[in-house]
Amino acid sequence: MRIVIGQGSCGIAAGAEKVRKALLNTNINKDDISITGCIGMCYLEPIVDIYDGDKLTRLVKVSENDAQAIADYVETGDFSKIESLTVSDEDSEFLTKQTRIALRNCGIINPEKIEEYIGADGYKALKKALSMTPEEVIDVVKTSGIGGRGGAGFPTWFKWNAARQSEGDEKYLICNADEGDPGAFMDRAVIESDPHNLIEGMLIGAYAIGAKHAVVYVRAEYPLAIKRLTNAIEQAKAEGIIGSNIFGSDFSCDFMIKAGAGAFVCGEETALIESLEGHRGMPRLKPPFPAQSGFWRKPSNINNVETFANIAWIINNGGEAFAAMGTEGSKGTKVFAVTGKVKRSGLVEIPMGKTLRDVIFDIGGGMKTDKEFKAVQMGGPSGGCIPASLIDTVIDYKALGATGAIMGSGGMVVMDESTCMVGMAKFFLDFTAKESCGKCIHCRIGTKRMLEMLDRITKGEGKEGDIELLEELCYSIKDGALCGLGQTAPNPVLTTIKYFRDEYEAHIKDNKCPAGECSDLIEYRIVEDKCKGCTLCARNCPVDAITGTVKNPHTINTDKCIKCGKCYSSCKFGAIVKE
Amino acid sequence: MINLTINGKAVQAPEGSTILEAARLADIYIPTLCYDEAVEVYGACGLCVVEAEGIPKLLRSCSAKVSEGMVVNTESERVVQSRKIAMELLMSAHDGDCVAPCQLNCPARTDCQGYVGLIANGEYDAALKLIKNKIPLPASIGRVCPHPCEKACRRQNVEEPINIAQLKAFAADMDLNSDSYVPEVKPATGKKVAVIGGGPAGLTSAYYLAQLGHSVTVYDMMDKMGGMLRYGIPQYRLPKEVLDKEIAIIEKTGVKLVNNVKLGKDFTVESLKADNDAVIVAVGAWKSSSMRTPGEELDGVYGGIDFLRGVIKGNPPEIGERVAVCGGGNTAMDACRTAVRLGAKEVYVVYRRTRNEMPADELEIREAEEEGVTYKFLTNPLSFNGEDGKVKSITLQIMELGEPDASGRRRPVPVEGKTEEIAVDSVILAIGQKLVQDDVKELKLNERGNIEADPDFFTTSIDGVFAIGDATNRGASIAIEAIGEADRCVKAVDAYLNDINVETRVPYISKRDESTIDYSDREKQSRINPKVLDPEVRNKNFDEVSLGFTEDEAKAEANRCLECGCREYYKCKLLKVAQRYDISPDRFKGEMPQKYSHDENAFIERNTSKCILCGLCVRSCREVMDIHAIGLMGRGFKTDVSPAFSLPLDETKCNNCGLCVQLCPTGSLTEKFKLDKQVPLDENYTEEFVEIDGKKSSVLVSRYNGKVLRVIPNDEISRNSKLTRDELFKLVK
Repeated sequence: MRIVIGQGSCGIAAGAEKVRKALLNTNINKDDISITGCIGMCYLEPIVDIYDGDKLTRLVKVSENDAQAIADYVETGDFSKIESLTVSDEDSEFLTKQTRIALRNCGIINPEKIEEYIGADGYKALKKALSMTPEEVIDVVKTSGIGGRGGAGFPTWFKWNAARQSEGDEKYLICNADEGDPGAFMDRAVIESDPHNLIEGMLIGAYAIGAKHAVVYVRAEYPLAIKRLTNAIEQAKAEGIIGSNIFGSDFSCDFMIKAGAGAFVCGEETALIESLEGHRGMPRLKPPFPAQSGFWRKPSNINNVETFANIAWIINNGGEAFAAMGTEGSKGTKVFAVTGKVKRSGLVEIPMGKTLRDVIFDIGGGMKTDKEFKAVQMGGPSGGCIPASLIDTVIDYKALGATGAIMGSGGMVVMDESTCMVGMAKFFLDFTAKESCGKCIHCRIGTKRMLEMLDRITKGEGKEGDIELLEELCYSIKDGALCGLGQTAPNPVLTTIKYFRDEYEAHIKDNKCPAGECSDLIEYRIVEDKCKGCTLCARNCPVDAITGTVKNPHTINTDKCIKCGKCYSSCKFGAIVKE
Repeated sequence: MINLTINGKAVQAPEGSTILEAARLADIYIPTLCYDEAVEVYGACGLCVVEAEGIPKLLRSCSAKVSEGMVVNTESERVVQSRKIAMELLMSAHDGDCVAPCQLNCPARTDCQGYVGLIANGEYDAALKLIKNKIPLPASIGRVCPHPCEKACRRQNVEEPINIAQLKAFAADMDLNSDSYVPEVKPATGKKVAVIGGGPAGLTSAYYLAQLGHSVTVYDMMDKMGGMLRYGIPQYRLPKEVLDKEIAIIEKTGVKLVNNVKLGKDFTVESLKADNDAVIVAVGAWKSSSMRTPGEELDGVYGGIDFLRGVIKGNPPEIGERVAVCGGGNTAMDACRTAVRLGAKEVYVVYRRTRNEMPADELEIREAEEEGVTYKFLTNPLSFNGEDGKVKSITLQIMELGEPDASGRRRPVPVEGKTEEIAVDSVILAIGQKLVQDDVKELKLNERGNIEADPDFFTTSIDGVFAIGDATNRGASIAIEAIGEADRCVKAVDAYLNDINVETRVPYISKRDESTIDYSDREKQSRINPKVLDPEVRNKNFDEVSLGFTEDEAKAEANRCLECGCREYYKCKLLKVAQRYDISPDRFKGEMPQKYSHDENAFIERNTSKCILCGLCVRSCREVMDIHAIGLMGRGFKTDVSPAFSLPLDETKCNNCGLCVQLCPTGSLTEKFKLDKQVPLDENYTEEFVEIDGKKSSVLVSRYNGKVLRVIPNDEISRNSKLTRDELFKLVK
């Protein structure tokens, strides 16, 4: 039997490494214990897969204390002690309802072993591509209809073709692995779990555009991804897959990793190039586009990790097979990182054309608590929020765009009715304002001024006309900002105003936060009739704002109260109300 | 060549040109703040955006290339809105004063900081010229002005305001006592303007109209010109010899002065209009206001200005030994101090509020007291009591201060049943003055009984007839108010004569939030007042009380100026762009990105709170000079330009080439003048050539009043010569 422990960052954070060490201390043959990346069921980590031949037993939420039980099962076949750990049928559906292309090897193969990748048909596509002309490769990509998975969905073949057509011997193929949206971790999962898939996709891209240099710009906050990618590059070099005359062809390509220094804006392609060159990460003016003048002013092509992760599959299976999935305007699959108030959070890859309901309710299992689904934020701080009423929106660049949100790179933050939408917009704007590079006026000052206005509104200091002024500023920033960061920064504000204008008005006109989240606008009160005098709230209050004697109704001193909500969540009788 | 259309105009531009380059070739203005040919395009300011047909996004014209058949609009509604918001945002984060508060508070907008600074540098003639751009009678005004400028002076937050008015008088006296400055007059236009009234308003309008080449005649009812300056202000405050000299200079500009002719008697408004292209009515307010107190008709009760005029004309009315002056303004002070000088033994000032509420200048109040005047505060005349038709006493109602009124001052209210009687020989009512309505019956009056004049254009009910000064709208005010009106009226009259429109829009300027200004690092230096005659000496004669500043005193006082206004005001690109649009940055009022601060070395002064992050300094230092002395620090709103490793500039590789300063579109980087005290000046730049390493090189030389102030590299050779500004300066003759 083979024991495979899920060791993506999520698994390790949940304790997978402790589980692995504990397993190594049992009688299980050490050679039978290996690792894999992230299967995507982050909410169930640590996950241990036991393979008996082809038969898979998947254990979830495993702790190091379960190691002996697993060892016993391996040795004696005694299933009883681990039965409770096996994944439920319902949870299994989280995976079976997905269609995995970019993530096809994630959580299955060992990302640190090139043999396993090759064993899973790895580098076949590269070989195949090298037998084709670059133009033919671009044609296949064109047929597939794949668009850039970084968010905008710009046709990949078009960029490749532009870079190919650009004059010059020296060209660069760059992978944008500066995944920065709060709540997004698709790219990290791919690099950590299937680094060779990325390398293969990039090599095919490099061949197609005529680049001899491939560069991965990855954020320094992804140390495991950098480690596994570095390891994979070394292995590929050793196998002659990276370097000169790859697979005996005329095609040569070297590979470089550059760790970014933690600026969100470096996910913008021209800022990324500035950073690669050692400058401060600030966007350049376009035109010229990178395809004409990019890294070191040479023709360069930049694609996102997920885009490259699809390429080998497309070459192997043909552009038509990819294009067969999805909608008229959006082909193939898309990976989402589903987080927030949803029951099953993790990575979901589904064909375009499914609905948000499919992702959030069918695969994600709906809300974590009994609170109602309120909205979902798509595309991180650049995206927008889609309300419950539009839950049946189809996942398609155009359809999502029509809501005011964007497809984005795949962040999907699910919110329930306890989330204040003004506060949500403020949260994302705070992020963009801080991450603005400071270059253009609209973004540098505009996002700050919007943030100040939102801050005032959530404090009950909003005034008549603020919503209109916010809207005016939003449209102006979209129009005037230099790069994508600024141009999309108003989206969370615009969409929340569009769908939740009444919530803004409640803050401004009535000094009320309908979701009860803005601490300046709420007050906790004990309902005398319901309070049993159990003293639990008083004991939980960190500032001694609650007084009362045993078995008598308690009261909250609102002057002292810091509105932390501990009393509210600790009361067993529903005697504390938030107003 | 590429053919395109910009704003409906067919334009040709070489292939590969940007839209901005094409527009400039065609003389079409597109604002930019971060663009300069010397460095690579950057795209930060976003002001150069334009709209092109068929392209959904706004294009940054500094980088977007022209294409055949392109149709560009540089001023579409969307473009203007984008620029407007950009400027509003930019100015909401630009912490600086374009203009000093003293200048803004002067009704005539006199460049106080400018002339004070020039005086500090000993540039008296330049200071005088600057003053005379706004005030034709500075020696007189400097002596009598209640100086609103000083009320706004920020130095009072350290200790006391700058003595701006006396400095003005000082510079003007220097001029009167040497070869007086007579401004250049433009070629004759052939247009004739008649001015009725030779007071400050009339003389000012005449002076500036004459400079524009118009033929001006001033008609005045009195023996001599000067109006209230001559007949309402006592000799000890404004010696008439000073006024005479200043009027003589006005006459030298070609203004004709005609005295002893009276409106309504010798001519009418209509008759003057018939002989002239325009008429300005500046007749003033020559009637003392009544208090409507019983007994005003008694002998020995005089109007304040009537009394003063009598004294000045040499026939003082009989006032006896005990005089009561009613009122708390400067006319009351003039009256009581004059009464003292005429020999009155007991002079009372009856004022219904307290000293703190007195509108008169504090110095006047104090000097009057020194001269023996007794203040009767919180008293109000109930009646003037007479015997045989002659005033003998006043019954005073005792008052107390109640709730504040509309003016913010506490309202005086009578204390029930409490009165006081004082014996007097005469009473002078100095509570205000009014227009003599009979004189101007041809013109429409307003509900206050003054001439109705348009507040922007000064037009009246008769076409071609303008009205200014005490006779109009809100009535009598201070001389500098009339002078400011006269100056603006001249622009309106000139426009009328040339049949063009006059700009009345008040352009935007940046002002600091007063509440955020920190004075704690300012060293205290007391205000210097000119020496005055001893009270025992001066109260017996009409000699000028103030002895005026000595040169040393003037310089020292002028050096106290905090230099509030921006030195780059006259060439600030940021301001020019901001003023093109009707912006209200207050909509976006919020935190300022940088603390207001400045640091400096021998040549350059940096003020990051004014920085707009156009990056021209950083880029020119890197791209043109390859020095990398400054760079961008931080992120987002707090992004800042900082010398390398946050060192003082002198500890970086900076060689003071000054290119950054030259390219800075605002006052964030300033090159110091070759002056001890820095002043905002409207310099003149001329291109000159110097020899650097045997090569002819172009430099821009800034001169002011003939003096070289700065030298700026202007080509590859001078920019790359790595000469310091000091070295470059020495190459200029």
